[in-house]
Amino acid sequence: MLYPLAWLLATSVKPADEVIASLDLLPGRLEWSNYETALEGVNDISVGRLLGNSLLIATGAVLGNVLSCSLAAYAFARLRFRFRGPLFAFMIATIMLPHHAVLIPQYIIFNQLGMVNTYWPLILPKFLATEAFFVFLIVQFMRGLPRELEEAARIDGCGPFRSFFLVILPLTRPALITTAIFTFIWTWNDFFTQLIYLFSPEKFTLTLALRSFVDASSTSAFGPMFAMSVIALLPIVLFFLAFQRFLVEGMANSGIKG
Amino acid sequence: MPGIRTRKSSATAVVLALCAMLGGCSGPQESGGGGKVVLRYTWWGNPDRAARTQQAVDLFEKGHPGIEVQTSFSGYDAYKQKLATQAAGGDAPDVMQLDYRMIDQYASGGVLLDLAEQRSALDTDAFDTGLLATGKVDGRQYAIPQARGTETVVYDASQWKAAGVAPPREGWTWNDWADTMRELARRTGEPGGTDPGWSEDAFEVWLRGRGKALYTEDRQLGFTAEDLTRYWTFTDRLRREGAVSPAEETTQLDGTVENTPLGRGRALSDNNWDAPASGYLGLLPDAEIALAPMPSGEGGTPGQYFKPSMFMGVAADTSHPEESVRLVDFMLNDPQAAKILGATRGIPVNEALREEIAPDLKDFDRTIYDYQASLEGELKAPPQAPPSGDSALQTTFQRDYDQVSYERMSPREAAENYLTEAKAELRS
Amino acid sequence: MTTPHMPTTVRGEGAAPSARPARRPRREGAAWVFLSPWVLGACVLTLLPMAVSLYLSFTDYDLFNAPSWVGLRNYTQMFTEDPRYWRSVGATLTYVVIAVPLQLALALVVALALKNMRHGKAFYRSAFYAPSLLGASMSIALVWRAIFNDGGTVDHLLGTGGWVNKPGWALLAVALLTVWQFGAPMVIFLAGLQQIPGELYEAAEVDGAGRWRQFLSITVPMLSPVIFFNLVLQTIQAFQVFTPAFAISAGKGGPADSTLFYTLYLYDRGFVASHMGYASAMAWVLLLAIGVVTAVLFRTSRSWVFYASEGDR
Repeated sequence: MLYPLAWLLATSVKPADEVIASLDLLPGRLEWSNYETALEGVNDISVGRLLGNSLLIATGAVLGNVLSCSLAAYAFARLRFRFRGPLFAFMIATIMLPHHAVLIPQYIIFNQLGMVNTYWPLILPKFLATEAFFVFLIVQFMRGLPRELEEAARIDGCGPFRSFFLVILPLTRPALITTAIFTFIWTWNDFFTQLIYLFSPEKFTLTLALRSFVDASSTSAFGPMFAMSVIALLPIVLFFLAFQRFLVEGMANSGIKG
Repeated sequence: MPGIRTRKSSATAVVLALCAMLGGCSGPQESGGGGKVVLRYTWWGNPDRAARTQQAVDLFEKGHPGIEVQTSFSGYDAYKQKLATQAAGGDAPDVMQLDYRMIDQYASGGVLLDLAEQRSALDTDAFDTGLLATGKVDGRQYAIPQARGTETVVYDASQWKAAGVAPPREGWTWNDWADTMRELARRTGEPGGTDPGWSEDAFEVWLRGRGKALYTEDRQLGFTAEDLTRYWTFTDRLRREGAVSPAEETTQLDGTVENTPLGRGRALSDNNWDAPASGYLGLLPDAEIALAPMPSGEGGTPGQYFKPSMFMGVAADTSHPEESVRLVDFMLNDPQAAKILGATRGIPVNEALREEIAPDLKDFDRTIYDYQASLEGELKAPPQAPPSGDSALQTTFQRDYDQVSYERMSPREAAENYLTEAKAELRS
Repeated sequence: MTTPHMPTTVRGEGAAPSARPARRPRREGAAWVFLSPWVLGACVLTLLPMAVSLYLSFTDYDLFNAPSWVGLRNYTQMFTEDPRYWRSVGATLTYVVIAVPLQLALALVVALALKNMRHGKAFYRSAFYAPSLLGASMSIALVWRAIFNDGGTVDHLLGTGGWVNKPGWALLAVALLTVWQFGAPMVIFLAGLQQIPGELYEAAEVDGAGRWRQFLSITVPMLSPVIFFNLVLQTIQAFQVFTPAFAISAGKGGPADSTLFYTLYLYDRGFVASHMGYASAMAWVLLLAIGVVTAVLFRTSRSWVFYASEGDR
């Protein structure tokens, strides 16, 4: 299970001639210069700044996704309105079209909005619930909650907004935490969107900077590339370790009040 | 839902507007902030190239206080797709680095500025006319070559010596090369070199050695199914004999030296471009890496040529054509910039600057410089930039040869397949 | 079957929420308020680009020159003149059939095991998720290639020779990479398991139901919406598999087109060969194909997915 990861870690400190040729997990000699090379390119821009940019984008994306996707999901899962079926089908269909096909039109739209080389193309879509994956995920969790919850809330005088915030949202916590964790990690790793929309190096994220500065087509860069992966990985490992415990504290023991 | 209906109809209107826009109109222009002209300049490359380019750009800004240059770069594959997306969105950077295979598509797509419009700002006197012509499409100069490279047979001289095989002699032919490969395989039990059947570049060298070309002047195929069948039969036989790498090795070639049979320690030579060959120094620290010319045709006709390894071009819809061309001129002609840039983009095409930087070249840059110098005057002029269909055909070439080397098709079948696809590709 | 509540509405409809005459008209307006961000995003950022790509699928469009209308030519060319297209369809279907069931089964089994684990839960959960943190990056692809190459670890242990360089085996190596990164469905299963009220198990315990019986009558039905979610999403994503194959085969889909998956070929046509019209047509055919498969999944879900909000059947 973890063998390939160990391989990755080990290779990141191997000298060039051992990277591919050697089967041994342990490097013949330690080559920390891979890390120096990986970090060398980002010298002009401080790693702190890159980290800050990445954090800003990932945090914005998490807020956006949790908020907008849960709102939309609540409507789809628990409210009745016209065209619900067709709209739901359309929402699912939006994830079926390969993103390469819509890349250029999307770029044109953001360019027309004057948002290229800003963080808006990376964050705004999340506030508009464009990631149907998460809407659908939260829908499935909300539909798993008994209908009586709102009936009871309604009798207590709650409208849909209060029952959403006070009753449904707290009970959907496992799904919201899952959404937050995935959004953070996926946004962090989303090299491609960042590449397309960001131009100025001072706006680069950690992922983008590291991948741009370690060019695979240049000579013999496998070692530094592995080192770069490890560096880029560290923050999300820490993030996951910090937040994964929330996955445990679901509602298993809190129960549902009838 | 009346609300929805209005939204829908306005959406349709925007789609129509978008379609019109896809028809080539430009996006919003970045105007200069604070009275300065702001230029965007992008390239692909590694951190070393980035650092040196930035230094040169700083120097340019010092000499031109009214101009601010914003730079950005990424790895090659990422760069290609980003540039295509930007250009399709009408948002191409003012000054861009281009590859040989991009010229035709970008020029005929109206992305590139005809540099003759800014002739006064650009000096091309120090450029070889043959190489300069590679940046022309339909007689217009759309891009200027920055550096040149050429193909080479890279080999480990010490291994060859140990095996008792004579090093390549000058002017060797494809038959000499094949015999050497067999000899190496016979004496060492390892394939002599990379199977050249997968490489469109190697095929071009072979073809030019026979007096033909990949493409004609009017951008049609310059060879027949017969030619390709003959080439693939030649390489396929060597593969079956074990003289060149087996299918399982050849299919892993992806442009990195790490994944070549030589780099993996499973062959004794490789045919590659001269610049990336420096990667073998780190991979094979005990080897004595040497560069030999590519084999010639049987009549002694050389097939390889000096190929521009990268170009500089200017966006057709830039709001600052003159300043953009000035930046191009500076990067290509300024002696101080040349000193800073060195050989980070390859050996410069500019002849005056090539002499200028030669004494400072070190290590493998020196090896490449000497190798290129040894070929100076021997080679024929490069062909014009390949038609835009070529970027697809390069992969098709590899895919069709996979079918041959895995013995799923005969060389003839695969060659005919290739020709069919190539004709379709070049028609459109 | 233990159900927390009696159903308030008996619905004969499928698992997909379906249109119904508004029972509580007061909420119609509220629904649109909740939906407003999504509607805005869907119209501007989703519907519009989709419409453009649909239009482009009927054109010859090389990215830079104006698209020219060619009617159905892209579609007919795809179906009748492009053997490589059909190779990519075959590779994709094989991949879906191998990767999806394996990945889901593994994710479910591990999630259940983690749920019942008393010690070291956090460690194992992190360890099982770790591969997914990496995504399918260039470096993980290189690791994979080294492990499944001639003389690599797998060759060493099993003596099978290399996988990534043999046409019959390379697809399996790519599928295993996806299976290995089963963290996302696993976490979703875990979250789903958290949502099952503990009282249900306690009540079942009182009734004397064994573990297996509890699994079948509580865990499976209560988890079914989440199982369904994972099944639908992983299927959709498997049809669009791109990054692992792209990285492992350096974008070529080799050897001998054996890992030339649908979206890989689509990318190749659109961005390498600059036939964006053709690529758009491919995208829409894929959308229709996935749509049909998903619709079938939704239809079957009526018989096995249980929603507490809609009562049991």
